[in-house]
Amino acid sequence: MKLIPTGEMTLGPFFPREFAAGANHLGDEIEVMGKITQLDGRALDNVVVEIWQADRDGRFDNPKFSGWGRAATDAKGIYRFKTIKPGAPKGRIAHINFLILYSGLMRQLQTTMFFELAADPVLDAVPEKRRALLVARREGTVYRFDLRLRGERETPFFDD
Amino acid sequence: MLERRDPKTQSEGIVAGYAQTAQRWPAEPLVRRPLTASELTGPHDLPKKLRMLRGDLAGKGEKRAAGQLIQVRARVVDEDGAPVPGAVVEVWHCNAAGKYIHPNDSNDAPPDPNFYGAARMVAGDSGLVELRTIKPGAYPVPDTGGWWRPPHIHFSVWGRVWLSRLVTQMFFPGEPLNESDAILNALRDADARSRCIARFVPSKTNYLVYEYQIVVRGRAATPKLA
Repeated sequence: MKLIPTGEMTLGPFFPREFAAGANHLGDEIEVMGKITQLDGRALDNVVVEIWQADRDGRFDNPKFSGWGRAATDAKGIYRFKTIKPGAPKGRIAHINFLILYSGLMRQLQTTMFFELAADPVLDAVPEKRRALLVARREGTVYRFDLRLRGERETPFFDD
Repeated sequence: MLERRDPKTQSEGIVAGYAQTAQRWPAEPLVRRPLTASELTGPHDLPKKLRMLRGDLAGKGEKRAAGQLIQVRARVVDEDGAPVPGAVVEVWHCNAAGKYIHPNDSNDAPPDPNFYGAARMVAGDSGLVELRTIKPGAYPVPDTGGWWRPPHIHFSVWGRVWLSRLVTQMFFPGEPLNESDAILNALRDADARSRCIARFVPSKTNYLVYEYQIVVRGRAATPKLA
């Protein structure tokens, strides 16, 4: 038997605030944050951002480290995670997977944040001139990763 | 490996009659990437990370929420039809008058002090979660010239891996607003739409029973990756 995956639909504007509260803390080493904007440049409130990352050694099956987190943007469009810097998984460079859910997005948006521009099978799949848009900007222990859903300097998103 | 989805069974990014989609869906084509362990593993400890919330939004006695009492039996399965035990399922919906518990809801329908509005549950061995609640109302979407959302329940589900994540909405059978809803009708395939509508199950209980099947991406035989 082969079933067809259920059709995705938008998260809508009324995702309960309590669902996103308190799930954005994975560790105390770095902060990953950024601003999320739409085509007209407006910053977006209550966008749900979920991340999935490896542990310090690049492993995804560490029972002592939860590599998953969730945050929602504030009224200025800012999301924040406190986490550890992931190690490089086998065959990859260090990265954090991002999932964006929001009103007006009929399907989830998938993207990946990188710490540097280097050879990586997923980063290399992105047209060369757009790859730098997936590299976070470092300010001390803060890594800034802005997401532009549509328009100028639009974030590359993946189709899986 | 995960199989690609049939686009007919999914929405296009920009939907006529749903203006926000044109501000938010990317203009550049989505990039096809190779899938590695990073995308094909997923959160293994969500029940530890997320507090479970009651699967009963209706209350009892004097604390009963207004509206028709219902039970939703939602079953999470993979593309092989195999249950996904341990799947975390979040649901939220508006009250019987069409009002959400959310500061951004500007609809002037009355709140219901006995209605809660959000639940988080873990699927049992058969992939089943049972939600006791009231049937949500319909409500008008502001600034759209008469678009009414049909009664629906929002679902957020985790399957076995990161790419199995599913957010969708469950609809009720026989609702005239289903025919014109921009969100339900964004699925181009009629069968795909009908699978988003719950099945009414006749029962002798004091609540109406609806069954709903949620199919998350992935096959049971997906190999474990390091």
